[in-house]
Amino acid sequence: MEHDPELVRRCLAGENSAWEALLHVHTRRIYNLCYRFTGRPAEAEDLTQEVFIKIFQTLKTFDAAQGAFPTWLARVARNHLVDHYRRTKKDRVTSSLEDELGGLEEKASPTVEPTAKVESRERKELLQQALDRLSPDLREAVVLRDLQDLDYDEIAQVLGVPGGTVKSRINRGRLELARVIKRMEGMRGPAPQSGTGGRT
Amino acid sequence: MTHLELENLASEYLEGQLDAVRRAQAEEHLRDCGPCRGLISDLRHAMELCQSAEELEPAPWLIAKIMRATVGERKPTFREQVAAFFRPATQPRLAYAVAMAIFSFSIIVNAAGLNLRKLTLADLNPRTWFYEANRTGHLLYARVEKFYYDLRVVYEIESRFRQVRSEPGNQEQEAPKPEAPAGGSTDRQAPGINQLAALQGLATTAASPTGVATETVAKGRSLSP
Repeated sequence: MEHDPELVRRCLAGENSAWEALLHVHTRRIYNLCYRFTGRPAEAEDLTQEVFIKIFQTLKTFDAAQGAFPTWLARVARNHLVDHYRRTKKDRVTSSLEDELGGLEEKASPTVEPTAKVESRERKELLQQALDRLSPDLREAVVLRDLQDLDYDEIAQVLGVPGGTVKSRINRGRLELARVIKRMEGMRGPAPQSGTGGRT
Repeated sequence: MTHLELENLASEYLEGQLDAVRRAQAEEHLRDCGPCRGLISDLRHAMELCQSAEELEPAPWLIAKIMRATVGERKPTFREQVAAFFRPATQPRLAYAVAMAIFSFSIIVNAAGLNLRKLTLADLNPRTWFYEANRTGHLLYARVEKFYYDLRVVYEIESRFRQVRSEPGNQEQEAPKPEAPAGGSTDRQAPGINQLAALQGLATTAASPTGVATETVAKGRSLSP
């Protein structure tokens, strides 16, 4: 597999196959980032497409000396997600209420599924709902660190903030996430799989 | 270490990024502080939940959708265009048609008696083709006819031999044949001489031209008893 800078160079030379190769490598990661921010697959798909359109238009501004291509890509995606968050703030208040009602309806009529599958689905829902309750600053820090596996320096580059701020946001984000998860698990009943032991 | 300090360093503590002194202070605090132990436990649980989260697969058409939105419909490369141009040539139907055309052409060329290495203007005249094809057809017919009559002659000879052998006088003569040199008489063979002479005539005419062969067959019949 070719390296990103080489693919970018070929893209800029007008090779569509190189652009397609870049998409194959990075679409999944950007889609997951968008999904963790929105919590909706359809919206995440639209956002992923918008991010890559933006990337395509600004590809010539990428400078390999300034950082790795995935970091630059994540920064563009994050900026687009923040813009999208601000743009759709009003719509989200009403839709989140609808989602919660929808979620209650779903819980009222459980379907017959294997236990492991149900637990896995519940864990996914729990995590996504907990992430949705975090503020955007904290959520993006936690997502980039714990779900996208970026290191602190990369996150600092993506967010455009100092390393100390990154550490602080990640810590506060995790503490907030832990509180939300604990509260939600308390409302739902015992956790499907705690894995911690000795919690107080 | 205070509760607030531990809370601020909780992530670094769980990720093992604290230096030895700070780590010892944190552990000492955790030994005596139940709420902080709970906090660390909850934090660890949240981190595990994040880390165990599976990556989601985007819809399979997403990349094609982005490609259309960015570079438009994908244009085929020069190589793909060339391959598409020659694709019909690789179909068995075309190979069959070409083979039939070559076969038909070779039949026409053979029938017209054309020499492709020494073509003249006269060879391109359809009248010449017709003349040559007509001539070749007649020659072929004559050969077939000759072959047929040759077969008839051979059949006549064989049937005549069978007839001669089946006659009682010949059988008696053939049985004591080993004693003939001792007995010395040739008069006993006299009854079969006529038939053998006729057969010899047939055998010689079998190698003769077609027209003669039919006459020889007629003669052979008249000679037979």
